[in-house]
Amino acid sequence: MKPTIYAEQLTRRYGSTIALDHVDVSIPSGRIVGLIGPNGAGKTTALKAILGLTRFEGTLEVLGLDPSKDRDELMQDVCFIADVAVLPRWARVWQIIELTEKLHPRFSREHCMKYLARTKIRQSAKVRTLSKGMVVQLHLALVMAIDAKLLVLDEPTLGLDILFRKQFYSSLLNEYFDEQRTILITTHQVEEVEHILTDLIFIKDGKFIVNSTMDEIYDRYTELMVAPDAIEEARGLEPIHERVLFGRHILLFEDADIDALQTLGELHKPNIADLFVALMGEHQPTQEAA
Amino acid sequence: MNTTALTRLTILIRRELWESPVAFKWTPALIGGFILLLIILALIIGAKVDNQMVFAIDGLRMYAAMDDSQQRLMSSGALFSIGALFHQIMFLVVIFYLAGALYDDRRDRSILYWKSLPVSDTITVGSKILTAGVAAPLTFLAGIAVTQLLLLIIASAYGLAAGINIFTEIWLPANLPRIWLLTLYGSLVQSLWLLPIYAWLLFCSAWAPRLPILMAVLVPVVIGMFQHFWSFFSNFQLPEHNLLWMLLLRIGQGVVPSSIQWQEIIDESQNSGSYRPSDEILMSFQSVNGYLLNWEMWAGVVIGVVLLAAAVWFRRRATDS
Repeated sequence: MKPTIYAEQLTRRYGSTIALDHVDVSIPSGRIVGLIGPNGAGKTTALKAILGLTRFEGTLEVLGLDPSKDRDELMQDVCFIADVAVLPRWARVWQIIELTEKLHPRFSREHCMKYLARTKIRQSAKVRTLSKGMVVQLHLALVMAIDAKLLVLDEPTLGLDILFRKQFYSSLLNEYFDEQRTILITTHQVEEVEHILTDLIFIKDGKFIVNSTMDEIYDRYTELMVAPDAIEEARGLEPIHERVLFGRHILLFEDADIDALQTLGELHKPNIADLFVALMGEHQPTQEAA
Repeated sequence: MNTTALTRLTILIRRELWESPVAFKWTPALIGGFILLLIILALIIGAKVDNQMVFAIDGLRMYAAMDDSQQRLMSSGALFSIGALFHQIMFLVVIFYLAGALYDDRRDRSILYWKSLPVSDTITVGSKILTAGVAAPLTFLAGIAVTQLLLLIIASAYGLAAGINIFTEIWLPANLPRIWLLTLYGSLVQSLWLLPIYAWLLFCSAWAPRLPILMAVLVPVVIGMFQHFWSFFSNFQLPEHNLLWMLLLRIGQGVVPSSIQWQEIIDESQNSGSYRPSDEILMSFQSVNGYLLNWEMWAGVVIGVVLLAAAVWFRRRATDS
């Protein structure tokens, strides 16, 4: 089966700065991929290229189509929430539903109404009168009612409170996602998505520096909470990152010898935020620890 | 055009009307209300000065005594001038509408929502120009029709008081269906005539980083001034083809109800001393057809289409920054 997203040497330059630097990637269907990177790393550019919203060099195929040429056709199978609160503010809720129904062949009004019924959003309300959280709920209801093959979410929960964020991801996972669909998410709130991801991509300076499944990540990286007397010995095994929590030293290892580490303290699955800091930090881990 | 493209265009035009109810719904309603208010005020003041309404009733009797062609000229003159007022304001409304049409959603980023729907940029731009050129004339025609109907009803009330046959003397010479059809036809041809200007506004709306209306006005003004001074200082004469002047002529020479065929009046009067203009002089199917046979019309349409294509090009790249 063809991958949902396939890129070869995907590159995008803005003048002399290079936002995407010869990226190769292949994402099959049925995945939830987190695209994580610091500000300005090229996340949004990558998403824009996939959605046909920007020009690019290299090869890019989304659902077998070239987003720069077949954008209108592609949008039948791709949905995106590009940013919070981008629904037209002048519109009333029923008008947006009507528009989406008439313009999108795969939209189901029935489904949309089912999701909306759980919220406090009234059909006669104008978008400008809705709270930020309600706008996201509305947008999610619209998007989940579309039978798409790829859903792209760019910082979908930015600026929302924790209740909305939890609810957002649980609806997405429990009611929308299945084997036929692919979801691509960028976010800064890594901790909230790491449990739902199947794949992880770290992007830095326009390059994908990590691109693997979560299982591979957990096989490859190990976190060690070091026993106080074993710190020096553990440091000798070349951790890629070290942090201190409540006076306990926590070291992150890549491709480490599990048996050797087990004698030095407790082993954990690394959390993505720590891995992110370890791999993205400007400083070398040893300097940071010092 | 296939049916899906047509349904999409229809819903997108409805979208434009939803977005700008003030421009397309409330403005014609307000103009109609304003005209009726003025007339009612005039009638009230008239009734105070002349409580027997002698002037109004005598006036109507004199009108009833005129021959048919004079009645037609007077009533179409009154009715077309109402249409003209609506259309002049509509032109202003459409200018502001078009200048914002491809800009407002870029500014508030809701363009990302529109771009998430499977709608081509060509259809999007098409829906905006059709809203300006077809939907706006239709909603304004509704305002014109209602205002004209109410005016004739008021006139009929006075006509009954004057004891004249309101059907043969008021409703028949007014011939509302002809006036409405002609107004509609004229306003659609006018849209085509103004297409280069409409398309220019839409084009500015598609690329301007900010203040598209200012860009749309400033660019021709600066070019026109430059042409003016360049020609003046290099040849000591004014330019033959000044962009600004051409634009103003374009706006001034369009089809508007009651755009009187002055040339015809002058020619006819010179030919025969007893010439009495008919209502055809105000606006006729023939005079509107004349625009369609004019090469300037089609030159403008070509420029308009090129500008629209450029607007589509910019729209496609609007999110690429």
